[in-house]
Formats: sequence, C-alpha cells, structure tokens
Amino acid sequence: MAAAILLLALVETVNAFVAPSRAPTDKDWAAAAAKVRAGYLPGDLIVAAPAWSDPLMRQQLGDLLPMPVAGRMDVARYGRIWEISQRGARAADTAGATIADSSRFGALTLRRWQKPAAQVTFDFFTEWHRAAVSVVTPEHVEVPCAAVENRFQCLGGMVLKPELLEIDFTLRNGLGVEPTERSTLAVEYPEVPLGRELAVASGLHSVWLRKLGDGKVHLRVLVDGRELGAVEATSSSGWGLKTFDTSALAGQTGKVRFEITVDKSNGRHVGFAAEARNP
Amino acid sequence: MTSESVSLPKTPSRMRREWLLPLVLAIATSSWMVSVEGRQGIGRDESQYFRAGERYWGWFESVWNSLHEGHPSRAFTRAAVDGTWEDNHEHPPLMKILFGVSWRLFHTCDCTGAKRGLHPIPISGRHLTLPLFKRESSAFRFPAILLAGLGVALAYWLARRVLRPAPAAIAAVLSVAQPHYFFHAQISCFDAPITVMAALVALAYWKSLRSRRWGILCGIFWGVALATKHNAWLFPIFLLAHYLWIRRGDLRRFRLPRPPLAFVSMATLGPLVLFILWPWLWHAPVNRTRAWVQRHMQHEHYNFEYLGRNWNLPSKEPRLLALRATFPFVSTLFTLPVTTLALSALGTVVFLRRRRSGPSSGVLLDETPTALHPSWVRPGADVDRAPGVFLAIHIAGPILMVALPSTPIFGGVKHFMPAMPFLCVVAGAGAAWLLDLARKLMPSPRLARALPVALAGLLCLPAVAETSRSHPDGLGHYNMLAGGFAGGASLGMNRQFWGYSALPLLPWMIEHRPPSNRLYWHDVLHDAIVMYSRDGRLPLGIGDVGVGEQVLEQSEIGIVILEKHFTIYEGLAWQAYRTTQPSIVYTHEGVPFVVAYERHPAPHVPPPRPESFTP
Repeated sequence: MAAAILLLALVETVNAFVAPSRAPTDKDWAAAAAKVRAGYLPGDLIVAAPAWSDPLMRQQLGDLLPMPVAGRMDVARYGRIWEISQRGARAADTAGATIADSSRFGALTLRRWQKPAAQVTFDFFTEWHRAAVSVVTPEHVEVPCAAVENRFQCLGGMVLKPELLEIDFTLRNGLGVEPTERSTLAVEYPEVPLGRELAVASGLHSVWLRKLGDGKVHLRVLVDGRELGAVEATSSSGWGLKTFDTSALAGQTGKVRFEITVDKSNGRHVGFAAEARNP
Repeated sequence: MTSESVSLPKTPSRMRREWLLPLVLAIATSSWMVSVEGRQGIGRDESQYFRAGERYWGWFESVWNSLHEGHPSRAFTRAAVDGTWEDNHEHPPLMKILFGVSWRLFHTCDCTGAKRGLHPIPISGRHLTLPLFKRESSAFRFPAILLAGLGVALAYWLARRVLRPAPAAIAAVLSVAQPHYFFHAQISCFDAPITVMAALVALAYWKSLRSRRWGILCGIFWGVALATKHNAWLFPIFLLAHYLWIRRGDLRRFRLPRPPLAFVSMATLGPLVLFILWPWLWHAPVNRTRAWVQRHMQHEHYNFEYLGRNWNLPSKEPRLLALRATFPFVSTLFTLPVTTLALSALGTVVFLRRRRSGPSSGVLLDETPTALHPSWVRPGADVDRAPGVFLAIHIAGPILMVALPSTPIFGGVKHFMPAMPFLCVVAGAGAAWLLDLARKLMPSPRLARALPVALAGLLCLPAVAETSRSHPDGLGHYNMLAGGFAGGASLGMNRQFWGYSALPLLPWMIEHRPPSNRLYWHDVLHDAIVMYSRDGRLPLGIGDVGVGEQVLEQSEIGIVILEKHFTIYEGLAWQAYRTTQPSIVYTHEGVPFVVAYERHPAPHVPPPRPESFTP
C-alpha cells in the first residue's frame, strides 16, 4: 500500500509535467489543415473529434465549413469526411464509414473517411421559398401566410423563416417558428422530387426557451395527403431525426406537407429541416 | 496529548511547531498567490464585488466626512445606508468591505487622471496609499489571498488536533494545492473565504468542547462566517450532529445533553456580529434577514455542464435525478489530485481503525478525556471527541447538501469546497501512517530524522505540480484519473464559468479594435471591462456593445466564452460576423476556452491543389 502511494505520487508528478506537452500544438493543427486543403474537394465535410476541439478545427479550416455545412441536418449527403482527431476519439459523424486515408501530425490524427453519399433530391431548408405556408384555425379555416423577403408572416404574428438555431447545444440550419396553441401551421411544398426516403429532423431552439417552457411540439409529415409519421420536439428530445420510407414514390413528384402544432406554446421555438433523398 | 485544558510549556520547539510552521506555510501560500494572481482574469461575480467593495469603502468615507462636518448621524440615515449597501445585498458584506479597504490602502493611485470617471464613488483627490500593487484589482484581491494563507494555517492547526507536525503540514499544503480551490482562493470572491471560515468555526467548536474561551470565540467566529457567505447557515447543523454523537451516552440514558457554551454563543453572538457588520440589516433587520434567506432558498438554477449534459432544472426523471446526485462525488473524484485522494482513502482507514482499536492508534494523537464530568463550558471534557466522526460530518455535510435534488444547480466544486480542509486532514492521517511505517523501516536514526521532510515533499509534490499546471484555468482542470484538461472536456465536465478567461485575448482585442469601437464581450461584464481599463489592460474608452443576444449584431469583433449553454452565442456570432471561422482561440493544454471573431476576417486562400492529386 505504502509503495503504491509513493509510486502514485511519482507518476502523478511526472504526469503533471509531461501531460501539457502532449497536447496538439498550433504546428500540428496547421500541418493537418494543410493536408486537408491539399485534398479537399467541393462537397467534402470536415469534422473534429472530440467535439470540443471543433473551434480549433474551424480556426484552421472554417472557410471550408460555411454555415450551411456547419449547421447541417445530418451527414448522409457527405461521402468524404475529413476527421481531425486527438486522444483516440472518433466523430459520431463518421459512423458507418471506412478509412480511406490516415496520417499523423504530432498529437493529431487526420483521417479521411469514405462512405456512400446520399443523393439529395430536394432540400426543404434551402428551398424554403417554394413552400406555401398557412395557418389552420381551430375552425379548420386555412389562412395563407404572406411571403415577405426572408420569411413567411402568418396569422397571429407567427413567423416562419430559415434560421441558424441552437438545438441540443448544436447549431442547426432549420425553418424556425414559434407555434401558437389551438392552431396548425402548415408548410406545404407542392412539387417535390421524391427519393427513396424522406428524412425529417426537428428540435427546440434556445437553451433559455427550453428551460422556460415544457410544451411539446408535434410535426406531422404527409406526402400527397397520406401521413408518413411525426416527429415530436420537447425540451429534452434534442435534434430528433426520423427517416420515412418513400421508395414506393421514388422518382415521382409529390406534395409534401408539414403540420406543426403545440400543446403549450410558452417558450417553444421549433426548428425543422428535411431532405428527400436516395441513400 | 493535545488537550486544550492542559497548558503545555511554551518551549522554543513547541512555538516553532505551533506558530512558526503554519506562519511559514501561510506566507508561502499568500506569496504564491500574489505572484500568479495577475494571470487570472476577472470573473462576473468578482467584478461586481470590486464595485460593491469600493462603494462600501465610499460609505466609510462618508461616515468620516459626516463626523468631520459635525453631522455624525447623516451617514447612518436609512437613505444613506441603503444608498450604498443595497448594492449586491444578496451577499453579506465582510469580504467586500475588506476588498474595499485593501483597495483604498494598497493601490497605486492614478485615480485623478483620466480614470477618475471609472470609479463607482466620487474621487475627490489623489489617494495617499501604500502602493503595494500596480494593478487595482490586485489590491482588491489581497484580503482573499491573505485569508487563503490563514486557511492553510487553520488547516494545520485543525490537523494538529489529531496529527503530529509533519503530517499536519502535509494536510495544510494539500488543502491549498487543489486546482479548483487555488483558482477561487486568489480572487475577490467568497468561496475560498467561507472555506477558511468553515475551518475556523470548526476549530473553535472543537476546542470549545474543553475550553470556555473557545466557546465564546466560536460564536464570534460564526458571526464572522455569516458575514462572509450564506454557507455558514449549515455550520451549526454539522456541529450539532457531532455534538449529539459524542454525547450519545446521554441520549442512551434518555437525558438531553446540556447545551454547550459554543452553541449558546453562536445563537447570541453570531447574529449580533452579523448585524454589526452588515449595515444593510440595520434599518430592517428581520425583513432583510428574511429576504436574504429567501433569496438563497429560492435561487434560480444556473446552467452547468456535467457528464456531457447541460443541467439547468431539477430533473423529474429518476435516472437523471440519480445522475445529478453523483455530481459532487464524481467532481471530487476528478478534481482533487489523485495522490490527495489516495491519502484520504488511507486516512479513512486510519480513522476507522482508531475507532475499532481504541483512541490510541499510534498514528493519531491521543484524545483522552480530561475530566470525569462535563460542564456546560467544557461539554466534551469527559468523552472521546470522536475526531473521525467530526471530520466525516464536515466532509459529508457540504457534499451531501450539493447532492440533494432540491439544491439549486449553482455550479461547480466551489459550493462544497468547505469540505476540503477536513478531507485534507484525513489525507494527513494517511500521510501519518506512511510516515510511521517508513520511520519503522529506516535502519539509521539520521535517515529517520530526515524522512518526514523528504516524504512530505514527495506526497505534496503532485498536488503542487497539478495546481501550478492548472493555473490560470483551474476551473477547467481535471486530474490524472479524468485525463487532465482534455480528459475533463471529453467527459463533458464543466470547463469554466464567470467569463474570467477572456484575459489572454485582451491584447488581440486591442490590436484588432475596429474604428467603430464596437466590441462584443459576451460574458465579460461591463464592471470587468472597467476594471481591466483601470488596471491598464484595456485602453480607456474601449467599446462594449453590451450584453444579450440582440447586441451582437451591432459589433465588429467579439468574443464567445465556450460553455455548453453558450453555443447559442456562437451561432449569433457566426451570423453577425458571417463566418464560422474564429480569428483566434485561447486554449489551455489544447482545450479551447474562448474564441474571438471578426466581421471581416482576412480570407484564407486555399493553396493550389497538387496536380497529381486524384480523389
């Protein structure tokens, strides 16, 4: 016992002096970034692992990670993923991918992951202006919202617009709205080229609002009037992503409608994104 | 033999052990902190205590002026008192008064120049001071630093109740050589001071069990503790639990133990001292004491990251309730130096064995009763004072309070730091066992004599090295078990709070200050910006667009403090500055703490791709 504690004291002391030097240096980051730049192709994704090192990765390569990519819905569309990792960590975004290339830069490991990329046939976030948005009142009257510059202005002061949202402490691009009780916000895309699946994600924006309210936001997904399913968002549900099988409709054009309702609207600011795609 | 009722001759060596050694430890501690505090930035709360401390000093000036002008009562009217003491009244005043007095005495005054307008009180002329400190913030911090020195001495004296000098000194060093405690101990806040007060009151109570004088002092000290921070409310609960334990014989005989002098003193002198020290109470003592209590009983839940989750509300899910309850235990496991933890585990065994094998374990000092019968002024004279139980209650008490689901999520190790001096006494007992064993194994008496110093050095070194390594970001430090700074971050443990970590980015902010002077400082309060300016670390007139989500868009450059719940601000920064690329990142051992963005960063031009590259 005594020897073990003395040995521990020695090891801990040595560790205190040595451990700081094992952290990645600016030089390591610059070297890894240079290799990424050399091999980068449009459509590539760059991630950092562990996630807390993301700001350092963005400091080096943020110009290759614009907001639409940084606030992505998921990684299905990315076939090549550059991962700068340390301490043996692996980014969740690389799940299911295989290593195409790997190299070391001091304390950093740079890996290029490869996986089949989904072909996105329609991105509901970037194509938001194609939607027809309306509010369905409790009396089942559908009142259209007005398209005004960068948003839809709706009955009762509701506003739907593309936003960069903080959902589950991650930044996400989504169509954001603060829904009101006893009415339904309908977001309808009349002509959507469908793929084999429809991926829909939603979650609640803002740490302060999630703390404030406890209502549940319900997002129904319908294609050509038929309900595929729903995604629910609560203060603790995070960024809930569901994929619906649309293989029977693949290659066809359909009307996709999202219906948003809320039971208690206090502090509810929901964001959602969706993609029609062929995985 | 350490009985307070027996007066031992004050031999030079006894004086050396009992006074010189703790004095040296205290001076070394305070010197260490004075030499490094300047690297630590100004946190939200600290900046408000600077302001309040200076304003409180301003009130003392007004008392003097009123006296001088022949209207002594003018400064004591309700309007005059409230005019000053309403500021930051949710916390009692003692430390803020000391901060203000220290600032007045020890700052280097250039107050009448351009900085005159940055003071929260009127500056009528150049201050005559003993200019010990170049930076005003250092002068404010000095009382906390001195108190940290006293804390080390108190830890030593507390340990000396049960340990010999060498292990007691080890306990004292370990009590300060803790990265999180060290962070708090050198700033103008109350968390380290209340830890010192916990040791002071506990020591006085312990001595009061066999000494009338300490019984009276215990009440006074508790009043001082009450005037330091509200954690002091809990102290009587811990002391009562211990008292009932040592007097359990009375309870078994269905006899109520007599109330000890210490408790009588605490009940009377404690509130009186608090009242005297806190002018805010003077004109409405009952209502304002109630308001003070209610404020902290109904405290809002802050955001705090623990094991990858952001906690800001009491959980309703049983699984999360249980997980949240583990917070102080896991945090202790991951934040104390591992050797300190191991010594504490060993010390626990030492105390358990003492209980099984009787008071005289050889490693611990005797705790022999000094009288056959107790009296109310010496209520522990006839019993074993159960030092193990005493320490266990003082360790478990603060930790369990934080573990309770009903306790608001405040944030951080700081809220159960009052357990740490006691934990280090237990660690000292572990060291005592090691010293005892090593002494027995030493073949030569000369080696045996040199052993305590060598072993003490070896056992304290990891804690001192870890603490030194952690500075100035002790909040983000995690021990070898967790994997250091990076390991703690990967475990999803809290990295920081209060926005103190902006300090290393100040030169960059100055250098990149836009012509519009529109700078966003995120969680760095305006009071902190003002103090940085007064310290000469920011130019006078540096811009500050203010706080809140809306103002970020108005700025040209800005910082974002990296805490989990601040992700939303990083998103706002991306949108305001139209980039996801921070211009600079402050890291400690590779772990990011703060990022800064510019609205128009120089674009990175990707190098041309080699022709030979094929995807």
